[in-house]
Amino acid sequence: MSIPTHFNSGRSGQGAAYVSDHEGSEHARFMRLSSYALAPLGVLSAWWLAGLVGETLEGAKAEIGRPFPAIVLICFAIIGMIHARQGMTEIIEDYVHDAALKEKALHWNRIGSIAIAAAWTFGIMLIAAPK
Amino acid sequence: MANAETDARAQKRPLSPHLTIFRPWLTMAMSMAHRITGAGLYLGMALLALYLLGAGMGGWLHALTGWLASGFIGGMIVFLITWAIFHHLLGGIRHALWDRGLYMDKEGRELLAKASLFGGIGLTLLLWILKAIAG
Repeated sequence: MSIPTHFNSGRSGQGAAYVSDHEGSEHARFMRLSSYALAPLGVLSAWWLAGLVGETLEGAKAEIGRPFPAIVLICFAIIGMIHARQGMTEIIEDYVHDAALKEKALHWNRIGSIAIAAAWTFGIMLIAAPK
Repeated sequence: MANAETDARAQKRPLSPHLTIFRPWLTMAMSMAHRITGAGLYLGMALLALYLLGAGMGGWLHALTGWLASGFIGGMIVFLITWAIFHHLLGGIRHALWDRGLYMDKEGRELLAKASLFGGIGLTLLLWILKAIAG
C-alpha cells in the first residue's frame, strides 16, 4: 500500500509516503488501522463472550447464532487474528534470535493465526446456519 | 582474541536495558502488560475457537465446550479474556494519544499508565455487572 505524495526519499521513488525499504512502517500503520476496527468489535465481542459463561450449550448457541453477534464475532476474529499475527511477529523478532528457530516460529505463527480465525469462523457459521 | 582484561572490563559495564534501575516502573509495567495481554489474547482466541468449533460441530469437542461454559476455570478464563480485551484496547488508545504527541510529559504518561490499569479493571467489572443485571 502506498499513499501518493510528492515526497521522494531517494530510495523508494516518488509517490511513496512510507519510504522505508523494510516493513516496519507498514507494520506500524497496519496495527493502527486495524485497531480502529477492533476497538468497537472488541467491546461488542467481550459482551457476547461474557454471555457464554454459565449458559447451557443450547442457550449459548441461541445467543451467538443471531445474525448481528455472529457477524461481529466473525469480523473480530478475522481482523483480530491478522492484528495478533502481526503483534506476535514483533514479539518473535524481539525475543527469538536463533535464525532457524525464528523462521520456524514465524511460520507457525502464520499457520496458527489463520487456523484460529478459520476454526472460529467455521464454528460460528455452523452455529448460526439455519437448521 | 579477547583477553582476560577486556573480558573483566566488559563484565563490569552495565547491561542495557537497566531493568533494575528503571524509576517510572508503572509506565514500564503497562508497556509490558500491553504485550502480555496481546499474547494472552492470541491463546485465548485459540481456546475460544475450539469452544465455538465444539459448539458447532459436536462430537469430542463438546467436552471442552461444556467445561468452558459451565466450569469455574472456564468462567475465569473468559473473565480474563474480557479483561485482556479492555486492557489492550486502552493500551492502544494510549499509543494513539502518544502518536499525536499528547500526554507525553511526565504527568501525562503517568496518568495514562494509571488510566489504562484502573480503566481496564473498571471496564471489565462494569461489563460483568451489566451482564449480571441484563441477563
